[in-house]
Amino acid sequence: MVKVGIPRSLLYYQYYPMWRKFFEELGAETVVSPVTNEAILLSGSSRTASETCLPVKIFVGHVLYLANKCDCMFVPAVRSTGGKIYNCSKFLGLPDITRAVAPESPVILDLEIDLSRGQGNFLKAVYALGNHFTPDRKRIKAALEEARKANLVYRERMVSLKLTAVEAIGEESRNGNVEAEAPLSSCLTIAVLGHPYVLHDDHLNHRLLSRLRTMGVEILTAEMVEQEKLNAAMVRLVGKPHWTFESDIIGMGGYCLEKGVDGIISASVFGCGPDSMMVSVVRHRARELDVPFLSLSLDEHASEVGIVTRLEAFLDMIRRRKRICV
Amino acid sequence: MRVSFPNFSNIHVVIKAVARKLGVSEGELVVPPPTTQKTLDLGVKYSPVEACLPFKLTLGNLIEACEMGADTLIQARGTGICRLGYYAKVQEQILSDLGYNARFLTYDVSRNKLVGMFSLMRNLKGANWFRDIPALHFGMSKLFSLDRIDKAVRHTRAVEGERGVANQIYKEAIASIDGAENGREVKRLTRKYVGRLNSVARDPRARPVRIGVTGEIYVVLEPFANMDLEMEMGKLGVQVERTLSLSRWVKYSLFLNPLGIDEWKDVRKAAMPYLKRDVGGDGWESVGEKVFHSREYDGLVHVAPFTCMPEIVAENIMPSTKEDLPVLSLVFDEQMGKQGMITRLEAFVDLLKFRRRSREKHENFSGC
Repeated sequence: MVKVGIPRSLLYYQYYPMWRKFFEELGAETVVSPVTNEAILLSGSSRTASETCLPVKIFVGHVLYLANKCDCMFVPAVRSTGGKIYNCSKFLGLPDITRAVAPESPVILDLEIDLSRGQGNFLKAVYALGNHFTPDRKRIKAALEEARKANLVYRERMVSLKLTAVEAIGEESRNGNVEAEAPLSSCLTIAVLGHPYVLHDDHLNHRLLSRLRTMGVEILTAEMVEQEKLNAAMVRLVGKPHWTFESDIIGMGGYCLEKGVDGIISASVFGCGPDSMMVSVVRHRARELDVPFLSLSLDEHASEVGIVTRLEAFLDMIRRRKRICV
Repeated sequence: MRVSFPNFSNIHVVIKAVARKLGVSEGELVVPPPTTQKTLDLGVKYSPVEACLPFKLTLGNLIEACEMGADTLIQARGTGICRLGYYAKVQEQILSDLGYNARFLTYDVSRNKLVGMFSLMRNLKGANWFRDIPALHFGMSKLFSLDRIDKAVRHTRAVEGERGVANQIYKEAIASIDGAENGREVKRLTRKYVGRLNSVARDPRARPVRIGVTGEIYVVLEPFANMDLEMEMGKLGVQVERTLSLSRWVKYSLFLNPLGIDEWKDVRKAAMPYLKRDVGGDGWESVGEKVFHSREYDGLVHVAPFTCMPEIVAENIMPSTKEDLPVLSLVFDEQMGKQGMITRLEAFVDLLKFRRRSREKHENFSGC
């Protein structure tokens, strides 16, 4: 059985169930790297240019970890997921960056996803990818359909059960019905904005989500809200979108501000180009509506204690505000 | 209505020319003051911390223009992948927070460029083809002339006998082309200044190294953003080669790209083995230029604003190409010190001269 390496980083959190289904249908086995740890981070950042953003460094670390454990590496270049909406440059250059900085990696399966150029183009790219496993086009198409279904189920489950991506993936692999960890006392609802690969990588964000939950906060992340609602809120706030992650950040921010939450925490990575613009739009709106907003900037030097202190201060402030208001 | 725009290279000369021909009066056009440290400080103060240098500098320009009474601002916008698409949205918000109620006229630099140019002019002064086309033509003639002179300056700086002569002539040239009233005068002035530059007394011992400059277009072309990079390189006796220029951009993007002529075809083809697709901004071309010019240049200076997404992709890929061309990556932001840049440039130029010497020695030996 061919082993396909999938780095547990970047788009893994959004699409892993879909990818796994696709490769399984084609008779391949997926190998996923372990949860990010310090060794993975260090090996990645030793290869890349110093100003590269942390998630890409971590991605390279995962590739290096998998290099001798699989027969080929799946590194898609996701250019556009529809309309005139494009992804960040680093996603487009990902296969090429990987090839350049991690030459020991096995064959890179480089799938360019560009839905702005139409379905036909996309299908052609998928056939080219499937060709590595089987020449049978019908089988590839069937696998694609199955994968799409798996993706819908995955999304649906996150929305209905209010699960985070990691919980949903974990639950699926165990095939059981695990409820989301119940918060101790859910008196506060805080929206956490950020890219899935920042929010769900516990090494990168210093266990932000679980920390918030143990502090008695009910968290709300973008995958827990229907995509249509996010898109609608985003259009109301900034008009036509420009970047793929806009609905996750601006849409989610706008949606939560309309719906009413106790506070918003934005977790972004230092040097993230799209975030530097998008977060400022949400922050501006939050200021207008007088909703507390905490912006956390993460990099490889971020200290855990610093983050905890800021979270505590932020939550204390919100609790006090609520007491005064009530 | 008082119109203004952010500074970018010599674009104020061009915009002034077009505006004059369109019949925009002196009072209606606010030329922002030259970019200075104060501009940068203003921009940094009001921008999101992690915004890139072009965002901060253009915001500074616009704030200074608003202080002078501008109420309509021209800003670029893109539909590509880089942050440019968000500039106007966020800057408009910041300016309105500061209490300036300026209207933004955005110009899309990635789609419908020629149409966009005319609709921009229509927004300013109403449509009139008989006035708009000659106005655009006049502006372009100044742009092309300035870039021709600029090229001559880059070559003269490296070999001039007395340091600073070329810069002096360049300054004069900009001022007199700015004052030119018609196309014929622009042509005459161009010939005059290029001639003067070519006849500057040369240093007989000068053997300039050829270094290409590539990277993100704003930082490459705006001398304040790159701390007079080309001038400093000239002082070190470097002949600066640069493919990027505003006139080239205008020529191809506005007129020839719609006809299917791609100015970057060869460069992109050269980049193909290492970077297969456009990553937004100028990242693809940066990689391509390294590969394409590897035999022609002695070295390459790759410049980018800090956290520029496309150029980071390029920076990661460049060192691994098979073609052997030394690359110096310079990253610019508000923290950058000029002395630091000069030191690195000196070291780089020394390295290139050393390489050339050892190569020549090698060739001499094998010749015997």
